[in-house]
Amino acid sequence: MKVRFRVNRREAAVEVDPGARLLDVLRNDLHLTGTKEGCGEGECGACTILLNGRPVNSCLVLAPQADGCEITTIEGIADGPHLHPIQEAFVEEGGVQCGFCTPGFVMSAYALLRANRSPTDDEILAALEGNLCRCTGYAKILAAVRRAAARLALKPDSEHTPEAE
Amino acid sequence: MDYLRVTSEVELAAALREDGAVFLAGGTDLLVKMRAGALRPRLLVDAARVDSLRQLSDRPDGLWIGSGARLEDVLASDAVRRDYPLLAAVLHSLGSVQIRNRATLGGNLANASPAADGVLALIAYDGKVALATQTGERTLDVSEFVRGPRRTALAAGEYIRSIWLPAPRSDWVPFFHKVGRRQALTIAIASVGGLLAERDGVIVDVRVVAGSVAPAPLRLHPVEDLVVGRPVDRTLLATASEAARKAVAPIDDVRASAPYRRDVIGDLVARFLRQASGHTAGGASP
Repeated sequence: MKVRFRVNRREAAVEVDPGARLLDVLRNDLHLTGTKEGCGEGECGACTILLNGRPVNSCLVLAPQADGCEITTIEGIADGPHLHPIQEAFVEEGGVQCGFCTPGFVMSAYALLRANRSPTDDEILAALEGNLCRCTGYAKILAAVRRAAARLALKPDSEHTPEAE
Repeated sequence: MDYLRVTSEVELAAALREDGAVFLAGGTDLLVKMRAGALRPRLLVDAARVDSLRQLSDRPDGLWIGSGARLEDVLASDAVRRDYPLLAAVLHSLGSVQIRNRATLGGNLANASPAADGVLALIAYDGKVALATQTGERTLDVSEFVRGPRRTALAAGEYIRSIWLPAPRSDWVPFFHKVGRRQALTIAIASVGGLLAERDGVIVDVRVVAGSVAPAPLRLHPVEDLVVGRPVDRTLLATASEAARKAVAPIDDVRASAPYRRDVIGDLVARFLRQASGHTAGGASP
């Protein structure tokens, strides 16, 4: 069957099996391989994307369920060659070790900081509750999100929200 | 496998009459089962865009929650925050942000897990569930709907339309505690949710429900009967704990042993009575 959605502000139309997961369609059909598969059952958050602006596990969404929806993946948040401030903050704080979970963490942080410009530590931890990291111990990830929040607080809205809601 | 998206309950009810049709709501449990090969539907009926199933309606006699309302939307509702704090506490602890952006209360009910904390809260508020088919509707207590692990009262072709929570007492004090390996994305080893109303130092009304210690979330009637009309003191805490340990029927599994679960339930019930009553003379935390 044919499904149509917008991915990172571009129209996409893909012929899919009705049982295909959105994760696989993004990676294999659209070659957006920044979104990772960790557990494949909604526990680890490595496959986090935004679906109509809300973070979801793309391993638990069938491609037909996303028909007509607006999708943002990790490839969609940078501004051309310029990393998004959240990505910059992860680099600067060293919030990355093996890197496999990082796209998911960045997307969860992105969803948080669009809704809440000055989150408390508890709010950051709550927003990241669905993302697992087996390397870092989380301290530097938390520091990266704090740094990103501080930096974004200085910018007007339009500079860090590429897609309109 | 075929996939059909429906946009009205008329279409939904007709599609569910097809042989091998399975209702798809948020998919957070269904897709995991399909991936494991435990479920092979012939037809998935995607009901996520049936608007009438996604509404919340706050009325004088209680709150109606559409079976397809996303848990994050249920959590964001003023009525839930204001009048049903136990449901809010339970949903906060369910899954993760990503899961709650897809999952629904109807799905939590239909999945019928003994560890379904959402169901635990619905039972505590004396919730009813409205089941519909092409020809009519019937209403059951939530506690009658969930029959055991993966077993519900749903008949062939029937779907969950809504959940009704009667207007609560204004003086309920809520309590919820889940024991698990971590806070998010954990399946409970044991959990207790309760509501307690006290007047002049005496318990006048109480509801207490235990999760993961019986085939379905279990209302602990023996504990309720024991404590109503009595002040919370050390003796009551001890006898209520003992009654709770006797009332449950836990199993050994990968998460914990049955005796451990029994002990945890006893301790959680004592903690509930102590904290919700503002009782301070009970000594150290059990």
